[in-house]
Amino acid sequence: MTRLEFYDPSGILEVTQPFAPRLSSLEGKRIGFVSNEQWQAYRMLPLLKELLEKDFPGVQVLPIDAYPQGNALIGEEQTAALVKKSGVDGVIVGNAA
Amino acid sequence: MRNAVSGVGLAPDAAMVTFPVNLFLPGSDIAPLEARRREVYDGLTRWKSDFAQAAGSAKMLTVEGSSYEDALTKANNLLLTNLWGDGLPLWPATKERVDWILQGSTAPRTKVLGKFAPRGGITTIETCAIALAMAGGRPEYLPILVAAVEACLDSVGFDQLQATSGGPFPAVIVNGPIAKQIRLNSGFGLLGPDPQRPAGASIGRALRLIQQNVGGALPGVGTMAIFGAMRYTNAVFAEDEEGLPPGWQTHANQRHGFEPGTNSVSVVFACGVTNVRRRGAKKETPEEDALNGMWRMADYMRTPNLAALSGWEKGTPGIMMIAPIVARRMAEIGWTQKSIRDFLWQNSRIPMEHMRRAGAPAWIEIDSNPVTRASIDLDPWPVCQKPDNIVLVVAGGGHPTHSYWLQAHSPSVIGKVVRVPETFERLLTDADRDLGCGDDVCRI
Repeated sequence: MTRLEFYDPSGILEVTQPFAPRLSSLEGKRIGFVSNEQWQAYRMLPLLKELLEKDFPGVQVLPIDAYPQGNALIGEEQTAALVKKSGVDGVIVGNAA
Repeated sequence: MRNAVSGVGLAPDAAMVTFPVNLFLPGSDIAPLEARRREVYDGLTRWKSDFAQAAGSAKMLTVEGSSYEDALTKANNLLLTNLWGDGLPLWPATKERVDWILQGSTAPRTKVLGKFAPRGGITTIETCAIALAMAGGRPEYLPILVAAVEACLDSVGFDQLQATSGGPFPAVIVNGPIAKQIRLNSGFGLLGPDPQRPAGASIGRALRLIQQNVGGALPGVGTMAIFGAMRYTNAVFAEDEEGLPPGWQTHANQRHGFEPGTNSVSVVFACGVTNVRRRGAKKETPEEDALNGMWRMADYMRTPNLAALSGWEKGTPGIMMIAPIVARRMAEIGWTQKSIRDFLWQNSRIPMEHMRRAGAPAWIEIDSNPVTRASIDLDPWPVCQKPDNIVLVVAGGGHPTHSYWLQAHSPSVIGKVVRVPETFERLLTDADRDLGCGDDVCRI
């Protein structure tokens, strides 16, 4: 038998920060949307807002345009600061394609 | 998306709900979102990351076969089934082969060059050597690959360049004596393939393997490159410095200020290539021949190439390659690098009426760069802010018929000095021994 030993070429991934803890429930929570305004986000995110409000009485869903929108702006530190300042419990980011 | 998440240091299995692309098209039926809304809710509440990989050095893989041929086949199959291959045969990166390649490094194998976006795989000198080993490379190629990787990592918006649907690919322009020393083509067929000057193929293929394996640019998931053109070997070539007319500067000097004789790379992200038949067909004077050719080049550039918007202010709309014989003839009748760029810039401007009919202003309006957004007031609209943005390279075979336009999607053009080890001369001697002929005695 011939044995070949060689390197895995995929490099190493390093996890440097954990995900935010998940919420116990969405009832009574405050939820925001960060939208890149592409890929039908202008239709899909309002639908999701409507569904959240119907499925979880007491949930507070911020307007879709509560934060800056568009690819050019949603990755900015300023947007992250606005999200944090708004006191939301959770954020839904959309849409990617 | 997983790449984008792991690229910022999170585990790569973020909470997300995926749908077929039809949902995201204009006029689509978005009822599936309502049907699957619980998955969105679960992402905010019940979802947990399953990722558990720990940091460390590159893992070793093992295959066994009844013969070397059998083991080699199994190694290639293993690489493909793990999504680490490109469909062409690979050399398994054995310790012996990687150690050999590492002779071309000036830095320790563990030196970290950065995290390769968007996946965020940690990229070391060893990572480069592994990819170069797989791509059939040699140690004297490693300095170019390392410099090209450094340039990619410093490229503005590199994570997006890796992932975007337009499929930009690195075009690596090499200047300095190293090009000839390692058999990198600057003449006929410089974009390959070339059995006598194979360096560009191996270096470019290694870079592509890093993009895919370390950076996560897998088709349809990690890179949305719809067509994926030119991505087996990228484009790695040298400028023909000996072919520059008297008084003309090297690309590296013009764009990056590197002194002549400096070994360097310059990385542009191209997203297409077009051959431009520039020569006249009948009884043109030299002046007419030059001018006709310049118009044809400008005409190719005068398109609403919206990918180039990203480089409108500081990047480039593309690389225009002109053959050395063309450069020389044009220089003899008074053309300079500056006058060529000025002509191309001036005459590639697009009437705003044409921009409007193509829906182009909307893309300008949403560009992230305010300088680019402000360009919407220009009519005709220039394809870049200033003539110097255009990359002009003298390269190609000794024949006057064509020029070559590599349209770009390149927010920046990054130059890096290439560092070679003290033992580089010995590596070149070894290459002469192994490959049989240096550039001066090539058979074709």
